[in-house]
Formats: sequence, structure tokens, C-alpha cells
Amino acid sequence: MNTEPIRCPLPARIENDSLAQIRRTVLHQHRGTTVVLDCAALGALDPLGAARLLRVIAEARAAGIDVRLANLSDGARRTLTDVDPAILGEGAPRPRRHPIEVIGERALDAADALGEVGTLLTETAAELVRPFGRRGIKWGRTVQQMALVGTEAVPIVAFMSILLGIVLALNGAQQLRQFGAQIFIANLVGISMTREMGPLITAIIVAGRTGSAIAAEIGTMVISEEIDAMRTMALSPIRFLVVPKVLALLCMMPLLTVISNVAGIGGGYLIGVFGLNLGDSAYRMQTVQALLISDVVTGLVKSVVFGLLIGLIGVYRGFSVRGGPEAVGRATTSAVVTSIIACIAANACFTAFFYVTD
Amino acid sequence: MTPEKSTHPLVVENLVAGYGEATILDGVSLTVDAGEILVVLGATGSGKSTLLRCIVGLVAARKGRVLIGNRDINAANDVEREDILRDVGLAFQEAALLNSMTTAENVALPIIEHWRLDEATALMLARMRLARVGLAGAGSKMPSELSGGMRKRAGIARAIALEPRLLLLDEPTAGLDPTTARAIDELVLSLKARADMAIVCVTHELGSINTITDRAVMLAKGTVIASGTLDEVRANPDVRVQAFFRRELLPQGERQSLVDVLEWRG
Repeated sequence: MNTEPIRCPLPARIENDSLAQIRRTVLHQHRGTTVVLDCAALGALDPLGAARLLRVIAEARAAGIDVRLANLSDGARRTLTDVDPAILGEGAPRPRRHPIEVIGERALDAADALGEVGTLLTETAAELVRPFGRRGIKWGRTVQQMALVGTEAVPIVAFMSILLGIVLALNGAQQLRQFGAQIFIANLVGISMTREMGPLITAIIVAGRTGSAIAAEIGTMVISEEIDAMRTMALSPIRFLVVPKVLALLCMMPLLTVISNVAGIGGGYLIGVFGLNLGDSAYRMQTVQALLISDVVTGLVKSVVFGLLIGLIGVYRGFSVRGGPEAVGRATTSAVVTSIIACIAANACFTAFFYVTD
Repeated sequence: MTPEKSTHPLVVENLVAGYGEATILDGVSLTVDAGEILVVLGATGSGKSTLLRCIVGLVAARKGRVLIGNRDINAANDVEREDILRDVGLAFQEAALLNSMTTAENVALPIIEHWRLDEATALMLARMRLARVGLAGAGSKMPSELSGGMRKRAGIARAIALEPRLLLLDEPTAGLDPTTARAIDELVLSLKARADMAIVCVTHELGSINTITDRAVMLAKGTVIASGTLDEVRANPDVRVQAFFRRELLPQGERQSLVDVLEWRG
């Protein structure tokens, strides 16, 4: 370790070019070295020059190099006197990290997030069984949430599902026509809608409408200290905010999925009967014969899990908000994206499971 | 450890707390009696608001105890904590009213939940609380329709909704015009006189300090640097106390500048 300080004269003005040279000289030194910047030639240090110089000093200190200033003029002294030394810490650049370190940190963050969602699930479940304990479920709020989550989503779910049914039928018709088996469009649409597409399109719509709203509402309450206020009044935010929303999702997702199934099959029916002239009763008979109770139940089970995922992820993202309105926006986006990914991943797991066990 | 018997509504013993790696409170001790207003003074960043957040358990203590009516809030389980918090009211600096509810519903919320009253009775009681803080007729307004001073009053009304033994006020007059600030000071004094509450008020407004203080503690960098009656605190020779009351900058020796840190003296 070099114990003798290294002296480096500063020019009369701190410009970008001269700064680059100073930076190279300073950062080239080993950790533990002291570099003394001689300010004898430096005139009055203006705030811009000081900011440029301090940026380099902060960077050097973060790298373990002690940078000092010698022969400060009165003007330079005046510029630096009113500055809080803490800015050297704030202005330090983040140390570069190894990619493995970054991946490891992300993995730990993801594990933490999973753990917190698990905790939320446990706390929500604990509150759900409270009707038999000291407090009850907030039924008024739950019904209000049911209207928001369910009733108001019916038109969009139905409309999207009809379109999906039409698309499935048209794509199926193109292929099945080659084999003269167009009547099997009814099977294709019916089974696809009830087992896969109905629950999934409902989940995607609800994630976009409700998951985002949950994250935004709770996030805004966090930054305006409303959640803290509830805690100081000994009111559980889980019971007041989370349970009604999750309960509403658990109840309304299967109902919306049924609507989606019916609308999707209806869309296929429109193409089958009016577009391909397959006949009304033939199409209906074919659908009824193709569909099994287990197909419908499978979809409904999925929808309940999707509802739980959307609710918990929205709540988790909301409670994780730190900062201002921008953080609420990020949480909202993140809630939607994470919910959709989680639902699609869960759907793949379900489908694989049902395929194996069928 | 069994807490010793005490008549103080609030006892803070050697409290150490902070956020992440930063220590904000470092060994703070204080007590408040019933019918007394303790004013916590200090410059911005001295740990005043963190102290209030520790008292209600929003920030966990790393060391020390916060005894509210002889019960340690940090050692309490959920049910005990709920019982303890029923005796405490906290008025936040920005009021923190629930924006989805009317002002009266905000005040009625803890009444409905903890006293298990029907909504109509609780709302009537809430309107009485609002009238007590000078907000008669504002009950049906949404928080966004209230002015800054009205919101602070509504926050106080909610904090006293359950008639707590301990009332905590976080900067109740900050950012208000002198007339409104004076009215809130009078309100705080009337609460003390009529309800025999113990009140802890965090503030750095000299007008409020002069009006409401029974006893004061002054914090700097998370430690108590002066305590006693207002006159005793004023007489404390510590330069930070003197600078605070004279509204002066700290003497150069107490402030570190970049020159001190960077100048080469080799």
C-alpha cells in the first residue's frame, strides 16, 4: 500500500477534457492510496466545476481511494463550505457487480417475493376463518368488490369470449374441411373453451381490470399512509382490504368463466350454424355429446386458482410500493404482467396434471 | 420481564430503532403523565416522527421498551397489541384519512370496529367528535374536499374517536397559516383540559411550542439532548438547543462542510 500521497495539479478551470484526465489519474491508483489534488492554479470554483470534481471524488472514494484538496482558494472554499459532506456518499456510483451476483440477487428477491405471497395467503386464510373467532368477514365490502370484479366485467368477458369462439371455429373449419369433419368444430370449440380458453381469457381480462386496480388502490393507500393509519387504529389491512377482494375473486372467477364458456361456445355456434350451415340441432347435439362434466369442472377449478393468484399478486404488488405515484404505476403494470404469467404457468401445470391423470 | 408498576400512560425506555442499517433513535427515554402535554422538539431528521411510529409499533424497537399503560407494545401478541392500541390515538402529519370514505365515516371506522356499535350510532358519535374539533357539518365531505387545516382536524377527530388515554400528534400545525395553527393549538389544549389525556406532540413550530408545552424533550440525531419544562430546555447550554430556539444556523464547529472532509492538512 502506498503511504505517500500522490499529488496531482488541477488546471485553472474544470472542463470535460481536463476532468477526464484527472479521473484517469485518480482512478488508476490502488485502493488505500491518497491522492492530493493541488488547487493552486484553480481559480474560483463555480458550482458546475465543483459538481464535476465531486463526481470524480465520490467515484474514487467508493473505490477506496482517498482524494484530498490542497491550496484551496477563498472562492473554492466558499463554494464547498455550504455543501453537506453526505453528498459524497450519495454521489458514489454503484459498484459493478458480477453477473452471477446479479442473478443470485434476483433469485433471492424472487424467493422473498414468493415467501411474502405465501405469508399473505396464510394471513388471508387466517382471516377467512375468523367469522368463528373475534371478528367477521366484511360482507358489505365483499359484495361491493364482487360487483366490481364480477358484474362489471361480464360484458367484456362475454364479448371477448364470443370473438375467441369465432376464431377457434374459423381456424378449426379450415383444417377439418379437408376431412369432411366440420361438425367436429363443435367438439373443438366446446372442449377448448371449457378446459382452457374460457378460464384463461377470463383470467387475463380480470388480471387487467381487477389485478391492476387492486395494486393501484393498495399502493396509493401505502404512500398516503392510509395503511399505517389502519394499523395504528388496530384495524387489520388484511381483513379490511385483502379478504374482501380475494373472496370476491374466488367467488366471481368461476361465474365469469361459466359466462365465458357459454359465450365462446355461442361464438362457435354462430360460425358453425350460420357460416358453415352445419345445422342448429346437429351442432347443439354434437356439443352436448362432446362435453363432459369433468371438462367444465376442470376449467372451474382452474378459474378459482387463477382468481387466488390474481388477488394475491395484486395485493403483494400494492403493499410493496415504496416512493411516489410513479411507484404505484410500476406496481400496477407489474401486477398485471406477473398475474398473467402466473396464470399461464399454472394453466400449463394443470393441463399437464390432468393429461397425466386422465 | 415483568414491567414495574407505573401510573404513566407512556414510558419509553432506552429505545433504539431505525430503518435498514440506519439507526434513527439511539437510546431515547421519556415518560408522559395523564393530563400533560409533552412536546418533542428537534430539527428535521432528528427522529421525532420515527419516535411516534415506534410508540405505536409501526417501527419495531431494536432495543428498549415502549410501555403504554404498563404494557410493552413490542412484546405484545396481535390480540394484546389491539387492546393496547385502543388506548392510543395517532394523528398523522398529513392526516392519512381513508380517501374512499367520507370524513364522518373515517372517524366512525374505529368506533364501529372496536366498540361494536351500529353504523348510524357510530356516525352520530363521529359527527360529535368532528364538532368537537370544529368540523361540524364537514362529516359528509370527502377528505379531498377538505383544506389542509380541516384535514388535520379530522385526523385529530379520528385519533380521539375512542377517547384514548394517550394521544400522539405528528406536526399538527406544520404548513398551516398562523391563525389556523393557533386554533389547532387551542384544540390540543382543550383536549388536555377536558379529557385528561396524555398528549405527545411532535413539532418544530415555535409558536405551538410556546403555547402548548408542559414539558419538552429535544432530540438531535436520535438522542435526547435536553428535557424538562420549556424554561429548563431553553436554558440548556447545548449549542443545538440554543440554535433551535434562536432560529439560527448551527455554529460552524457543529456543522461539517466538504472543506473539512476534503482539505489536505498533511
